[in-house]
Amino acid sequence: MMLTQTPLNSRLRLSGSLIALGLLVQALSLLWNHPLSFIAFIGLGGLLVAGGIVLYLFTLVTIPSAGTEDINGNAKAQTPQT
Amino acid sequence: MPTSLILAVLVITIALAGLVALRPGLTIARGGKILAFLAFFIFPVFAGLLGLENHMERAKQTSFCLSCHIMGQYGQSLYVDDASYIPAAHFQNGRVPRDQACYTCHTDYSMFGGFKAKFRGLHHIYAQYVTGPQLPVKLYHPYNNRECLHCHEGSRSFEQGVMHTADPQTMADIKSNKLSCTSSGCHDTIHNVKQLDHVKYWKPVQ
Repeated sequence: MMLTQTPLNSRLRLSGSLIALGLLVQALSLLWNHPLSFIAFIGLGGLLVAGGIVLYLFTLVTIPSAGTEDINGNAKAQTPQT
Repeated sequence: MPTSLILAVLVITIALAGLVALRPGLTIARGGKILAFLAFFIFPVFAGLLGLENHMERAKQTSFCLSCHIMGQYGQSLYVDDASYIPAAHFQNGRVPRDQACYTCHTDYSMFGGFKAKFRGLHHIYAQYVTGPQLPVKLYHPYNNRECLHCHEGSRSFEQGVMHTADPQTMADIKSNKLSCTSSGCHDTIHNVKQLDHVKYWKPVQ
């Protein structure tokens, strides 16, 4: 499915990437038993995840969805961007 | 919770977040919106809290404290073959859990004591990697009797000890922290790392 690169999509991509990267850092930190692993968990992983979540929530409240749904929740076609 | 289970939750969350990031068009439908909310908010928060709890528990482990080079001698002192060495006697006789020996004696047995101990741990990291450690290593505050009495108060050897009961004021002073347990002439041989080259060591039976 090819979609137009809307602001919503690009922000979702960015927030998803931040969250996935942050979670990856957190997962790796769990494999290392050292005080610095805790710093990596909070300072790097936690910050990336928090940034991704904040961006996602911000996107929800600032950018209206390009696609809409009918009353039954079925997706309608996305409006092409000009 | 086992680390492997937390890692599994993290991997599933990464996969979900990656799926929505790669296919943002999924969020057009209602199901996709719910998936995005789970992948971008609920699961990361849940996985993060599990990971944080795991890190907090691991920070209590003796091996965690001794992973810093500067603590090596203090770990070595736990194996001194001399009962007058208080940490060694506690460690070797199982008076403290061996896998949490440092934390058991060096946490605060007060409200938010665990939190304070963790905060001190962050200060240790700052001192180790930013300002550089100041040698010899010292406690931030004089050792509080409260930490000893958490286990020893009420025990026969403490309550009826000859020296503890020799003078009625002594027991009151110990319990009110006016007279330190580690005072000179009492239980005053602690880690004593300067003498570690001149002592015998206990070898645990495998």
